Amino acid sequence: MSSMKTAQSNPTPAMNNDELIVIRGLCKSFPIGKKKTLNVLNNVDCVIHKNEKIAVIGPSGSGKSTFLRCLNCMEDPTGGSIFFNGEDLADMKVDINKHREHIGMVFQQFNLFNNKTVLQNIMLAPVYLKTKKAGGIFAKPAVKKQIKDEARETAMNLLRRIGLEEKANAYPSTLSGGQKQRIAIVRALAMNPEVMLFDEPTSALDPEMVGEVLDLIRELADEGMTMVIVTHEMGFAREVADRVLFMDGGKITEEAPPAELFGNPQNPRTKEFLSKVL
Amino acid sequence: MNFVDEWSAFWRLFYTNGGYKRVFSEGLKNTVVIAVLGLLIGIVIGTLIAAVKVMPKYKALPRVLNGVCNVYVGFFRGTPIVVQLLLAYYVLFPLMGISLGSLNTCILIFGLNSGAYVSEIMRAGIQSVDAGQMEAGRALGLGFYPTMLKIVIPQAIKNILPTMGNEFIALIKDTSVVSFVAAVDLYKVFTEMGNVNYEYLAPYLMMALIYIALIMLITLLFKLLEKQLHRDDRT
Repeated sequence: MSSMKTAQSNPTPAMNNDELIVIRGLCKSFPIGKKKTLNVLNNVDCVIHKNEKIAVIGPSGSGKSTFLRCLNCMEDPTGGSIFFNGEDLADMKVDINKHREHIGMVFQQFNLFNNKTVLQNIMLAPVYLKTKKAGGIFAKPAVKKQIKDEARETAMNLLRRIGLEEKANAYPSTLSGGQKQRIAIVRALAMNPEVMLFDEPTSALDPEMVGEVLDLIRELADEGMTMVIVTHEMGFAREVADRVLFMDGGKITEEAPPAELFGNPQNPRTKEFLSKVL
Repeated sequence: MNFVDEWSAFWRLFYTNGGYKRVFSEGLKNTVVIAVLGLLIGIVIGTLIAAVKVMPKYKALPRVLNGVCNVYVGFFRGTPIVVQLLLAYYVLFPLMGISLGSLNTCILIFGLNSGAYVSEIMRAGIQSVDAGQMEAGRALGLGFYPTMLKIVIPQAIKNILPTMGNEFIALIKDTSVVSFVAAVDLYKVFTEMGNVNYEYLAPYLMMALIYIALIMLITLLFKLLEKQLHRDDRT
């Protein structure tokens, strides 16, 4: 198998208006040693519609995190295509940074910038990218100031929304896990993304902090944000998701609305998994 | 001659006859100038090399750059700084028709030399920063270099500051070989003072005291800097 995909990929399919991300034949393999490769994703097909909330569940090692991380090319796919805004993100020639601005991502380990205050964490990317578009270091000082002021206002509004405005000038090391994760979520929101990817957002949290983070994600879901959530919180998946994907062995082995998948799973592997976790 | 006589003879040279002026205005000044400018050049070169080393290596250019950097680091870490100074001052620069003067040659060679060491310190520093920091920056749409510059390198610098202090102290002491290429540093000035009476004990003792004072000052400065950079830690 060739290691990296190049330009001669499939043409963009005619996408329906409500299709946001179309994944075709997605493969990901990691080299182990010189000759062997570990196939983590095998020909995954999936369509993510606008405003849809998708929960991805499955046993560990099933490829669900890798699947999520391929959607914004945090892992470069080794085969297949991911169509987003008319371009194939799996194509190495596509400017991935441009698309990542519209795909928010929230990590298990929060990954707030440790050397920046909470406010700077939220403002950094919007200010940098907007200033860059306005001419970078050659942008007029007035324009730069306006971009900064707008970003600060957005950031403060977001902080107010999650009730952490008094932490604006605190450094991440002084915050609790739940606070960090909520700030990581609004940091992604500050970019005004079209879709949010959550990679086990509550797995690194103390049990008593899980609630506040899930509440915020639920709020976003209610506002109509498109989201893909890899999670072990079955109750949450059942409540929030429109569709649940069950992954096993690098494939989506079952997908259905939550009531169906949790209530009447078809695949024996799904049954086995759910019997263990529920 | 006993030590007291020797010391008073040296003191006459050093203080009464104004020898200290040359010690400070030439010896100490050149020692500090070579070490400070050398370290600054070293940090710039070292950071660039470290950035090349941690660059994703899909394309040909990073791989070629990586090879060039390996040769560079291999040469400057593989040969003593005296050899590099002699080669540059007596062989390479005359062949190339460049005359930089001995002080500038020293600054340049110390810069290139410390660049090789700083690159390894920097690389270790960059790799000590959690990979999630880079991922978070990239996921927001920032490129590799902006993320490196704004997020990873500032944190790396905080981690490597003690090691960098070590490198600076080593650099200061290494400057004592610059008289090989006719530059005047502390060692040269005090040796000349000793040459007057062929008595070296007192001048070299004084030289040692000045080196110790200088390095204590640097240690203090790095401690203050570290304190300043660690303000974002939990208090």
